[in-house]
Amino acid sequence: MAAKLLSLILIVAAAVAADDEPTVAKLLVSKQVLNKYLVENMDILVKYTLYNVGTAAAVDVKLEDNGFHPEVFTVVGGQLSAQIDRIPPQANVSHVVTVRSNRYGYFNFTSAEVTYKSSEDASEVIYSISSSPGEGAIVAFKDYDRKFSSHILDWAAFAVMTLPSLAIPFFLWYSSKSKYEKLSKPKKTH
Amino acid sequence: MVTKYITALFFIAFCSISYAQSCQNPKVDAASFTSLDATVVTQIAYITEFTLKCDNPLPENYALYAEVEGRPLTAARIGENKYQVSWTEEPTKARAGLHEIHVLDEEGWASLRRARRADPAATVSPLLAIQLQHPGSYSGPWVNSEILATGLSILVAYVALRNKSKILA
Repeated sequence: MAAKLLSLILIVAAAVAADDEPTVAKLLVSKQVLNKYLVENMDILVKYTLYNVGTAAAVDVKLEDNGFHPEVFTVVGGQLSAQIDRIPPQANVSHVVTVRSNRYGYFNFTSAEVTYKSSEDASEVIYSISSSPGEGAIVAFKDYDRKFSSHILDWAAFAVMTLPSLAIPFFLWYSSKSKYEKLSKPKKTH
Repeated sequence: MVTKYITALFFIAFCSISYAQSCQNPKVDAASFTSLDATVVTQIAYITEFTLKCDNPLPENYALYAEVEGRPLTAARIGENKYQVSWTEEPTKARAGLHEIHVLDEEGWASLRRARRADPAATVSPLLAIQLQHPGSYSGPWVNSEILATGLSILVAYVALRNKSKILA
């Protein structure tokens, strides 16, 4: 009887104590390049999504992407470094940046760096990196244009080139028709 | 008597602190970017960068949140008093025109969440409203040039053959 009561008390105490787990934040960051084709001097859309999979809010989150060298990439929309004050637990935040490359060739999209504190009163900063999209081939604009542009000018040039083979027989027929009509008219009036 | 005076002083001090936390007379300077060419990207990006100017100095980590057409977003700080609000949209759902961004600070956001719990259609007056103009993205010509060329050549051939049969008949 006493042993049963003691075991019950111990179980309850363990349950109460177990609730006091330390709450930590954990950020998983994904970096995605949302492009069908990577073409030089055209938009490259990069989306960073920060997911907090922990149980506490991530505080003082700093996202920094040093993978786009300023000599090659110009940022046309957004900024590559951003700070988010607080990401609540089980929530996500996304950040979108658009860059353009002035060079073509193979480019390795590297990870972005994220630093954050794992809870409101944490002192140490946790360093994390995002997923890396991997290697992509940035195509020269000339090649992309040859394959995908609407080629209206080319078709117009083709139409102009086919015009002689259509126009010359037409004019021959038209001139002989009008000559015949002129010849036939005076006969009728006589 | 003294305690009453002290509590009154504390109360006034507390009020002034909480009053000064939010932005007084917010003025915004915004620049926006949207994806104009939808032929190479899989989603359309809407990015707004704005600088917030207030009459009172802002506290250190002044967080801003935004809501656009029902979508909740967090503003990222990209510089001193500079924030960025950005989101992506499917090209089929992206519509050209004005998108209204309601920016709220932490208090406004919390009160909006509270109001929404009671009534899903509740709104709170935003700290500022930014308008993002999207001129529409180009996703290719309406008619492909080769289809147009084929159509025109069939038309010309038809007219020619018809006239020929009229003459021969």
